[in-house]
Amino acid sequence: MKRLLIAFFALALGFPAQAQHKLVVSIWGGSWRDLVAETVAKKFTQETGVPVEFITGGTIDRLNKAKLTKDNPESDITFTTSHVGWLYANDGLFEKLDLAKIPNAKNLADEARISPYHLGSWAYIYTIGYRADLLKGVKFESWNDLWNPALKGKLAAPDFDPSHIIVVSAILSGGDAAHWEKGQDKLKALKPNFKAFYTNDANSQQLLATGETPVQVVLSMNAYYMIGQGVPITVAIPKEGGVLGVDTVAIMKGSKKAELGYKFINALYDPAVQAEIAKLKKGSPAVLNAKLHPEIAKLPGVFTTAAQWKKQINIDAKLRAEKTAEWRKWFAENIMN
Amino acid sequence: MVCRKYHELTRKRPRARARGHHSPVVTNQPYLRTFVTPAALCALAFIVAMAAILQYSVRAYIPGSLEPGGLTLANFAALMKPLYARVFLDTVWICFLTAFCTLIVGYPIAYALVHVSNPTAKSIVLITVVTPLFLGEVVRTYSWIIVLGNNGFINSVLLKLGVIEHPIQFMFTTFGVVVALVHVTMPVMVIMLAAALSHIDRDYQKAAESLGAGPVRAFLTVTLPLSMPGIIAGVTTAFAWTFSAFATPQLIGGGRVNMVSNLVYQLGFASFNFPFAASLCVAGLALTLVVLSALRLAARPLEKIGPH
Repeated sequence: MKRLLIAFFALALGFPAQAQHKLVVSIWGGSWRDLVAETVAKKFTQETGVPVEFITGGTIDRLNKAKLTKDNPESDITFTTSHVGWLYANDGLFEKLDLAKIPNAKNLADEARISPYHLGSWAYIYTIGYRADLLKGVKFESWNDLWNPALKGKLAAPDFDPSHIIVVSAILSGGDAAHWEKGQDKLKALKPNFKAFYTNDANSQQLLATGETPVQVVLSMNAYYMIGQGVPITVAIPKEGGVLGVDTVAIMKGSKKAELGYKFINALYDPAVQAEIAKLKKGSPAVLNAKLHPEIAKLPGVFTTAAQWKKQINIDAKLRAEKTAEWRKWFAENIMN
Repeated sequence: MVCRKYHELTRKRPRARARGHHSPVVTNQPYLRTFVTPAALCALAFIVAMAAILQYSVRAYIPGSLEPGGLTLANFAALMKPLYARVFLDTVWICFLTAFCTLIVGYPIAYALVHVSNPTAKSIVLITVVTPLFLGEVVRTYSWIIVLGNNGFINSVLLKLGVIEHPIQFMFTTFGVVVALVHVTMPVMVIMLAAALSHIDRDYQKAAESLGAGPVRAFLTVTLPLSMPGIIAGVTTAFAWTFSAFATPQLIGGGRVNMVSNLVYQLGFASFNFPFAASLCVAGLALTLVVLSALRLAARPLEKIGPH
């Protein structure tokens, strides 16, 4: 009985000690959490012996939580998209990174060096995905092809972020992200082709899989996932390039495990880990020295050279963070309604 | 006459109950405090949350920052655009349609639930009605996407039967949104109506029938008026329940049919413009209060039908 009590107290005292000795990572749920758990976290734990615990949630939920726990963060590491990362950074929620502590970061693509506070973890593109079996004879060689009158009532785009199609319209009209107003009339002309606006990845997949919207401005990784599920989707890369998207990683300001955080980020940029991420998610590695399987490397939206990165439409993440509300409001008022 | 007698009976009962409960409440003050304290704390938390939303609604949005700026009424001024007025009116219209359709579909089910004497049949009706409550709103909505889609169940059957040549567009329409919302609100409506119907003494209907009224007339002149409090309660609850619907209009409406909650999400949260989202919430809350008060005023004459 005495031994049992001792064992109990040892366990009771041991658990908190072990709980403190872990790295907490904030990330989206589902396949994103699994992706990091199976790749980076696995390698990090192998190297350091420190387990990784995940807290998951939507982009906005996690941003709000981080704001509420400023200086005493729930997580040590946060994954988020590049422009949302700027909101964290502007609010003083991210630690300024010391790149000397992340040796593998020297291989990062220029476009993945988002800010002194957050760096790209992997990349993807928003491009045109379509059901060739339902759209006979329609080709997508340029973003301009979305304006084809034959696509009336067939197009879907994300409702949570219209920045891709807004900037594309601006570029096609001689403007750019900073001078997006130039594309307003062009985008209004696309209105008849919109059938719906999807609200999340699952909704996008469902609309394409059922053929409800046979063409979409779609996240390349989602399109590849659906292709893997047997949905006959063609991913087109317009001659102007896809709209580059970069998910990022950062160390939370106030984290007591910043040193472990650096080791975690360094593990993320290990070429083998990056290759594994590309293989699992069909996304682009953030570093230029990852050795990808040729079948993965040739996929649209997967970049292995600096030139491929530069060929994409890259919206400055800081500008996007500042313009998101204005773009979203204009899109709701003029295109969705 | 029968109704008047029922009314007299029901008027006496609450008084008797009130007298009966008055005494123990006074003598059991410690128990009262035990129960009231958590409720008061919850109420306080809600008040604080509402105050936070109110203060956000009058703060300026700073692009690229999470921190709101100084005091402003610009968020409310921005709501004056016709787009927002239309979404608010659409919301009220969808709520009315949903409440009305739920009543029309739910009343016969509630009636069957109360009047079916076979316990097995009663259980089947009850399980059918209550089961949707155990499914999440998102799961139910995705099921409706499968049913209402262009390649969905309804269109496939109609196309195979040769009734239609091209799929009927149910998705991204007000019709599709209302159908799915009726399914969401149905359990609440049926339960409220069944509670009201079960309190009606069946002898009244029998008395009407023995005096020469047919089943339809007896129902229309006795049961239906006596169930009016349940109808009003059910319609009001369905209306308020629908007003806050989010996932169903978001997924079935596909950005084409928007309610206030969708606007809050699209313009507020998806854009990180929390002050504007807060002003939409405040305006939505004010509209709910106005519409529910109007509904209550409109229902007053109907409430009197029951007792008389």
